[in-house]
Amino acid sequence: MTAAPDLGLSVAADARAATGAPGPRRRTGPKVGAAVKYVLLTLGALLMVLPFADMFVGALRGPADVFATPPRYFPADPQWGVYGRVFDELPMGRWILNSVLVTTTITLVQLVTSAMAGWALARYEFPGRANVFRLVVGAQMFPFFLLIIPIFFLLRYAPLAGGNDLMGQGGSGLLGTYAALVLPFAVTWYGVFLMRQFFTTIPEELLEAARLDGASEWLIFRRIALPLVKPALATLAVFAFVYHWNEFIWTMTITRTAPELQTLPVGIFLLENTFNDLDQKSLQQAALAVSVLPVLILFALAQRFFVSASVETGVK
Amino acid sequence: MAGRALGRPGGNAPYWFLAPLFAFTGLFLVLPLGFSVYLAFTRWNPLGEPRWVGTRQFEYLLTRDDTFWATLSNTFVFAGALVVIGVPLALGLAFVFSRARGKAAWRAIYYLPQITSFVAIAYIWQFVLDDRYGLANRLLGLLGFRGFDWLTDPTMAMVSIVMVMVWYDVGKNMVVFSAAIENVSKDLYEAAELDGASAWIQFSRITVPIIRPAVVFVTVTSFISGMGFFALILAMTGGGPRGATEVTALYLYEMAFQDLRMGRASAGALILFAIIAVLTVLQFRLLRERKA
Amino acid sequence: MSRLATTALALVLPVAALADGHAAPLTMAMHYNQDQAAPLLECLADYEAETGQAVEYQQVSYGEYLQTVLTGRIGGTQPDIYHLYSIWGAQMADNGVLAEPPAALADFIRAEYGTTADAATIDGTLYGVPTEVSVYMLVSNMALLRDAGYDAPPATWDELREIAEAITTRNDQGRVETAGFAFAESSSGAGVVHPFYALLASRGMDVYADGFAEANLDSPEAVAAARDLATLVDDGITEKSVDAYDAFPAGGAGMMVMANWYKSAIEDGLGSLDDVVVSPIPAGDDWKTLQYAFFMGVDSDSPNGDAAWEAVRWLNSADSADDSGVSCMGRMLSSIGALTANASDNAAMGEADAFTQPFLDALADGRTVSQPNVMQAAEIEGMMADAIDSVIAGDADAEAAMGDLDRAVEDVLFEFY
Repeated sequence: MTAAPDLGLSVAADARAATGAPGPRRRTGPKVGAAVKYVLLTLGALLMVLPFADMFVGALRGPADVFATPPRYFPADPQWGVYGRVFDELPMGRWILNSVLVTTTITLVQLVTSAMAGWALARYEFPGRANVFRLVVGAQMFPFFLLIIPIFFLLRYAPLAGGNDLMGQGGSGLLGTYAALVLPFAVTWYGVFLMRQFFTTIPEELLEAARLDGASEWLIFRRIALPLVKPALATLAVFAFVYHWNEFIWTMTITRTAPELQTLPVGIFLLENTFNDLDQKSLQQAALAVSVLPVLILFALAQRFFVSASVETGVK
Repeated sequence: MAGRALGRPGGNAPYWFLAPLFAFTGLFLVLPLGFSVYLAFTRWNPLGEPRWVGTRQFEYLLTRDDTFWATLSNTFVFAGALVVIGVPLALGLAFVFSRARGKAAWRAIYYLPQITSFVAIAYIWQFVLDDRYGLANRLLGLLGFRGFDWLTDPTMAMVSIVMVMVWYDVGKNMVVFSAAIENVSKDLYEAAELDGASAWIQFSRITVPIIRPAVVFVTVTSFISGMGFFALILAMTGGGPRGATEVTALYLYEMAFQDLRMGRASAGALILFAIIAVLTVLQFRLLRERKA
Repeated sequence: MSRLATTALALVLPVAALADGHAAPLTMAMHYNQDQAAPLLECLADYEAETGQAVEYQQVSYGEYLQTVLTGRIGGTQPDIYHLYSIWGAQMADNGVLAEPPAALADFIRAEYGTTADAATIDGTLYGVPTEVSVYMLVSNMALLRDAGYDAPPATWDELREIAEAITTRNDQGRVETAGFAFAESSSGAGVVHPFYALLASRGMDVYADGFAEANLDSPEAVAAARDLATLVDDGITEKSVDAYDAFPAGGAGMMVMANWYKSAIEDGLGSLDDVVVSPIPAGDDWKTLQYAFFMGVDSDSPNGDAAWEAVRWLNSADSADDSGVSCMGRMLSSIGALTANASDNAAMGEADAFTQPFLDALADGRTVSQPNVMQAAEIEGMMADAIDSVIAGDADAEAAMGDLDRAVEDVLFEFY
């Protein structure tokens, strides 16, 4: 997989060199090099897609297939009922609900905090601005593994929450609450940085006019600036949504003993021994398929926000 | 909110807009970091009270804990391979796509893994890489090969982890590079083509130098995230077989939440962070200077 | 900011309010999945109908169990009732997590469970009711043995090697297709560590000496036991990539060292147990095997400790017996092919089937040694699995690997003993 595309490139180049035919690419006809390139790209694309296909095929295998010697790859009698079993035997509904709830909340909160902070950094001169900007850039350098342990205990000892007293003793703090899943992700440094970049592109005259009409700073931000950066907000929203739909380490750490808060990936991970038996593997693959499907559909529908928009806006 | 501010200063307004950021910084960055540093000098099984032990945890990790060193070496292999294999591949793909027909579709397909959780990726690949009846070895078997012990052989397990991580990550980096490449003026390429420059020449002489900032950015961020990454490994191999894919971040996570050694795990996290910080600064220096 | 705060509050409040609610249901964390626990879940519903006390069943993956309950304990979100693998007990008890049962219940346990009460005993203190007991034996698929020309399971280790070699077939690519012998692959490493314990005990050697201050893992007996397992792979008789858990029920493995609880999976896979024979692990006349147990305990911080112990007692005593006279827990265990040490249950259940009887005989004949309740047992067994695996893979010589292991294990023991 790894060498293929580069290889295609050099083969194409060699072919062109050999025929001594430069000229604009668009008009070069079907050439061996180009064909090789597309074959290799297609092979690469297959590699991107095949593991997912493997999952969908595997989900349909029945006991007859896995207990055959040697086991059959393609199910002799596809067991479509497995998707019903996934919902019967696993708390799928709960997981999906939690995933939607947590992911949507985080996304909204991040949009608000990113837009507000990005706006302030982009459009105001104030003492300390340079330092705040340094913070935003620098804070991205702190890896999450460094913060897992202390944040876990800070939430555990949050005063007056979850039965805790003023000193944070006695109860479970914010652990076992949705807040513990959301608050540590309330700000995304990259989002702030991104929104700042976008807000700097708004022409000052638009804002000046509103100021002369006596609009408050909040009103200017809310009614004039925000609508102008909708594409950036949409892109940020899509990225935040996908990232947190899939986030797993933190959510798992927090919800180990709170099954009612577990999200899709965490639920599937922690219930691994449900899938130990050979004839339960298809159940696992079906559960995975169900967890992948919503984002897959979102991806298909909003593809331009994922890739094209990122290409245009330069979001990572 | 000081409403009627004129012009850029805006009175108190910027501070109001930044209030959530400040609160977050205090609660979820400064406070935890301080707590973490304190913990690193204690011995703490969180079912009891922390006990101050000075620098003993650092000494233990650095002088007595062979596993810690082994995991550091695994971490370097993982992050290094991710950069060395993943970044050029993403760059090459971005360049090829930028001049391919249906580029949006190509980009979308290669981006696909990005939208999946590491749990799903880990398990999907566990099935694909199953020694005996996985898709990979079945296909190799059709061609008459024995296939590999993808996840049960220590060396192959690391190869598999890197391969899957590159598979996952290539789309993201490809998009960053694509964005940069789209901004390169078409005139440059056309001029080069008139001079008969091959695609490789155009790539290496025009594209790469112009998008250098993006290359630096992706290289450094890939390396940083690779050094601290463990979600995929936890779900896919759990650090095995026999510790062959146990990276430091995973080792520390298990030290904390499985063996309940919060003090030592915090000390380890600080050591790893220090290593990452130093290497990041070095990388920036190195990559920037070469540009000048 | 205020909007953010309201959002945060809105998210915290419902759960907080629940926590303050009255007549709190008990939570019981066990590793059995919904299918396996089905009889127990019915019982819990009966119990609620009878007493008004709700007990919520919480499934926690076996491999994640200890970490989960400890993290929960730290966070104050632990369950009221634990179901613990005995080797986790030392760490739990040492940290003061476990409550002692009421005196009446303790008497009941000692009377009903005999020596198996030891599994729930740490440093002389009893911490709960023993439940599932597991014993390792050699399990053979006679259809494969007969095809290879043998009508009885092996009686000696050399015979095991010979039969296994005769059964093993490889495909065109040289991969094992049918394995004569297969190791069970589990994340905890139990698949090699537990057979290793059995082979070591059969050689008359204990794993630890001197009150857990020392390990005997570099003894000649330990090296030989590791070598016995490793040479099965080294000599090309089997491959480590063949997982007994999958291969045996699929009819792809001739023999395995397995605990009784895998019975239902074997039966499901092979269709019946008619051609499956259970025999001693062929390690000489003084053969011994490993037994391990789970026990039900109660969290020492549980606000409903008394109610929790009462529920535990009910589930394991005649009070929950149905017409068959078997307690709730006994019924659940027998439904998954697991053993219990509850004397009344065993009496009520009568004669076991041909698959289960040899396991019971091993227990009754004193052929079993208990898995040691040492501190950091899970960590130590992980280290043992790594060491034995490296010998199996041929990466290290048995003597060197076991020597290193012994040192590393004694380093861990040094912290506690």
